Amino acid sequence: MAKLAKIMIAGEGGQGIQAVAEILAEAAYEEGKHVLYIPNFGVEQRGGVSVAFLQIGDEPIGSPKFEIADIIVALSERAVGRTRQYVGAPTVFVYDTMVATGKVELPTGAAKVLAIPGVETAKKELHPRVFNVMIMGAVIEATKVVSPENAKKAIEKRLGYKFEQDPKLRELNYRAIERGMELVGEVLRGGQG
Amino acid sequence: MSEKPITGEKRVFMTGNEVVAWAAVAAQAEIMYGYPITPQNEIMHYWTRLAPKFNKTFLQTEDELSAGFTTIGGVLAGKKTFTATAGPGTVLMQEPLAMAEMMRLPVVVVVMQRGGPSTATVIYSQQEVTLTTFGGNGEGFRIVYSTATHQDLFDYTIKAFNIAWKYRMPTFVLGDGYQAKMREPLTMYDPEERGVELVKPEPYVGLPGMPGEERPPGHYRNTYNTEEELNEVVNDHVKAYEQIQNELPEHDEFGTENADLVVVAHGVVARATKQAVEALRAEGLNIGYFRPITLRPMPDQALRAMADRTKKILVVESAQGQLARLLKESLYGKTVEIVPLFRPGVGVTPEEVMARSRELVA
Repeated sequence: MAKLAKIMIAGEGGQGIQAVAEILAEAAYEEGKHVLYIPNFGVEQRGGVSVAFLQIGDEPIGSPKFEIADIIVALSERAVGRTRQYVGAPTVFVYDTMVATGKVELPTGAAKVLAIPGVETAKKELHPRVFNVMIMGAVIEATKVVSPENAKKAIEKRLGYKFEQDPKLRELNYRAIERGMELVGEVLRGGQG
Repeated sequence: MSEKPITGEKRVFMTGNEVVAWAAVAAQAEIMYGYPITPQNEIMHYWTRLAPKFNKTFLQTEDELSAGFTTIGGVLAGKKTFTATAGPGTVLMQEPLAMAEMMRLPVVVVVMQRGGPSTATVIYSQQEVTLTTFGGNGEGFRIVYSTATHQDLFDYTIKAFNIAWKYRMPTFVLGDGYQAKMREPLTMYDPEERGVELVKPEPYVGLPGMPGEERPPGHYRNTYNTEEELNEVVNDHVKAYEQIQNELPEHDEFGTENADLVVVAHGVVARATKQAVEALRAEGLNIGYFRPITLRPMPDQALRAMADRTKKILVVESAQGQLARLLKESLYGKTVEIVPLFRPGVGVTPEEVMARSRELVA
């Protein structure tokens, strides 16, 4: 089993988790990598925890789900609870500072546990709408599975028609990617965890 | 309007449901009948998007019973038709599918397995193997391909139409919720450009000429007056199925020569077992891989030959022994030890397979 990045993104329905995973998957596919993406789905129409399983590698990918993730991004208390079973020695576990850590136990035994102020930064500096795109930036920085340029291209492919109407949106999305990358870069350099 | 949907080789990245819709278009299917059920809904959605572009149609029925019977109606009228379903829908569809067996009608059915029994999960399992291979009040005169990758979904959906119309037997593409919903790359192509001849459908009813005088009468029955009448017909089916058992079994295997252990799995689980066996072989362990592609008919001869060359078999599935039952029937009389790794309703990871395999060869 050669180099393969196992990525899990989890949050509340409506946080745009699956869109992030889809765009990342698309970007990696365009880079010629082997990609397998599967959303979890259940009978609930809304109100569930949304989890995306994403694998990106250089060789054909086996089973669609995995036991231990290389990186987990959990964006709510319930998402932290739901993803804990996928934490192992190699896991970098990223959670949002808005997660009330008093209400949920953070995982133990991970390589790193990092908190990023995603929700807060999106609200104060950007726009809550691009919260998920910022999270995508965070995943890109943490995993290096795709280049930011290709991620931007994948966003363009998906939202280009909206950008045509309002070029400021493009700018906002691009800044969100960069800001997300910075957030993870800062905590990694800061050595928190 | 109705130009070729795919020209040349086309590398794409999409969900399994979308792959099936494209494959049906590429196979020149003319109409889909269906009733919504997760996780196969998007086959219908994508088909209805593609259909008008290529002069094809769709009928949403009131339930799966009706979807099955309308598919039969389409076939009788000489149309290349198909339907898709899952879970409780597969249960309801058994009545028309048994009729298709009795009348040897080439209906094509895509099954995307979800969890059971009853409504259970909308997500995933391999618990519809028994239902797909032997469901209905009959003898299981069916052809079932179990796919593992999106490439398989494309290739075998096209093949299913050809095999169904060539052998006049209900033919199934057995996928699952993971395959339905996941995205991965595959290559789409026009089968005729690759030299694959597409078997032309023919109407059963409404043929020109006076029946019995200008042409043989069409005599398509699912009802018989006497036991002997029925017995005669079923015996004919048995004979026809013997030919199928000789001609159609497909499988994939490697490393089974004098192996200490062979891991057997079908469908998406075979991906995990393949990955596990490759990793274990790289460690120097003498472990082989066997994947039946046809579950009906099972690749009996290849399985029996494999059983003679190995010490143990580990059978892995996301069900409580539905593949294992088929396997045991294929291996009747062989003394090879069969060890189960059953995970009903959940996915199987390569790590689990590796751990169990190591224990068995230690």
